[in-house]
Amino acid sequence: MKRLLLIIRVLALGAFLMCALFPLYWTLVTSLKGQTEMYTYPITYWPKEITFENYRYLLRSLNFTRYTSNSIFVSLFSSLAALIVASFSGYVLARKQFSANKVLFFLLFMTQIIPGFILMSSIYVMFAPVGFTDSLFVLIFLYTGIMVPFSSIMMKGFFERIPESIEEAALIDGCKKLQMLFKVVFPVTAPGLAATFCFAFVNCWNELFLAIMLLNSESKKTIPVGLNSFVGKADIDWGAMAAGVMIALLPAMLIFAFAQKYIVQGLTQGAVKE
Amino acid sequence: MGGVLEKGVWYKVIQVGANSPHIWGENDLMVKDRKFILFMILPTFLFISVVTFVPAIRSIFMAFQDYNMYYLTKKFIGFKNFADAFCDPIFVQALKNTAKWVLVSLSLQFVLGFSLALLLRKPFKGRGIYTALVFYPWAVSGFVIGLQWRWMFHGSAGVINDLLLKIGIIKEKIAFLSDPHYALYSAIVANIWYGIPFFAIMLLAALQSVPQELYEAARIDGANAFKQFVRITIPYVKPVIINTTLIRFIWIVNFPDIIFSMTNGGPAGSSHILSTLLISKVYNEYNYGVASAIGVVIMLILVTYAYFYLRFSKTEGGF
Repeated sequence: MKRLLLIIRVLALGAFLMCALFPLYWTLVTSLKGQTEMYTYPITYWPKEITFENYRYLLRSLNFTRYTSNSIFVSLFSSLAALIVASFSGYVLARKQFSANKVLFFLLFMTQIIPGFILMSSIYVMFAPVGFTDSLFVLIFLYTGIMVPFSSIMMKGFFERIPESIEEAALIDGCKKLQMLFKVVFPVTAPGLAATFCFAFVNCWNELFLAIMLLNSESKKTIPVGLNSFVGKADIDWGAMAAGVMIALLPAMLIFAFAQKYIVQGLTQGAVKE
Repeated sequence: MGGVLEKGVWYKVIQVGANSPHIWGENDLMVKDRKFILFMILPTFLFISVVTFVPAIRSIFMAFQDYNMYYLTKKFIGFKNFADAFCDPIFVQALKNTAKWVLVSLSLQFVLGFSLALLLRKPFKGRGIYTALVFYPWAVSGFVIGLQWRWMFHGSAGVINDLLLKIGIIKEKIAFLSDPHYALYSAIVANIWYGIPFFAIMLLAALQSVPQELYEAARIDGANAFKQFVRITIPYVKPVIINTTLIRFIWIVNFPDIIFSMTNGGPAGSSHILSTLLISKVYNEYNYGVASAIGVVIMLILVTYAYFYLRFSKTEGGF
């Protein structure tokens, strides 16, 4: 009986892993196939001949290097800005002296119900007349605003774990409050700050709808927008698409693998009472 | 800190705010501390207002305006945008599809995610690497996930057709994404796959917080594994189950990415949900008025839902 249960458990775990990894595997295989092998029947589950022509085409003929640097630029600065703004308000939320905390928390919760894509037409109408379109800086501003609420809630969780006694000690030593934050509180929360930064970075890296709405020129596009302009064509080049997908998802995956432990901590501590 | 607070508009706002009895009520904080708190939260207020609340109000207005990017009239036209939206058969279809999309995805994500969490509960060699691998879909954007599955569901060169043929489940290839009977369900399959890690992560954390003594006591009393599960595990993780499911509902309603890249609502609008319909009104028809009307409908559904959620989660000891 015990043995049977063990076998079932191993089989089930194996099935989950296979299902999770298969799309990734398949995209990789597709990206390494040549144009002819892509559509030949029967389907090959490993390329007969591994070729990097899809990647070469993507990086040389299309502006993919440009898209990638744009994506890095936008994600980096929006998540940094969101982190700074959110750690301030997260700290206030965590230290419960502020009587309007409930209102603030409610407003942050409401922003999660109204996502960016619902508002994209009104954002466009607000920003276009002032000439604020087709600019990566405007995108950074918007992404920062979108990432602030969730990051605040995450940072609140991390700050709640710090004992207030170390803050009091620093204040007695003559630190001003803002100094105390930067010298004592933030260094202690470093893993939390890193996790929140990674979470925001990945979300900005992945954002699509506002970017499509606001970016027109080829030189401003981010990776998702670039991939999307592919899809619009009647005849999709699936080899190049698969290569593009690999480039789009690898950084996000690596960052998550690196920060997963802390991100999970940040997400679950609110939900799970210890 | 003094230097920053002493200058400019910020200072004025903070000065007035710190002395306003409306904000502070019975609070006996010193003015210095009040200024500090306002300084800390004002940027957040600024960002969420400009990025969410002002556009939200704006889009409520736009829902009652004739707002078409081709001919900018901006006239107020009452409920005409709503009437236009509701009379469109695709809207009705999208409403039904939204219900299917949410209910089927949510329930299977939960069941499979919970099973995975139960499987991962006891430590085994390599569990760290295993979880990192099995949870990776979480990091990938829905748009990219949709592209991957679109290629896998491809009618002639798709790997899913090939696998199903090999196993013998189907006799001939199915054009999953261009057949109205299959298009939405193909997207739902991808969505389920995508959402399993979230539930697994949250429920695993909850399972690991159940005190082991409870199980030991139950074993001494002679309770079998099933009884332990029903009597100890389920009641202990129940608040997390309720909270994650309720929150996930909002996310799935607001999640057009997979359908957008897999079918873009097609064929002939048969796989639209409300959020993808809104996006196609903006991108393809530039009809911001009707798009805003659909947006208002989505917001109404979710705000009503959130109201009951918040009341409910208070009594159940929520987030």
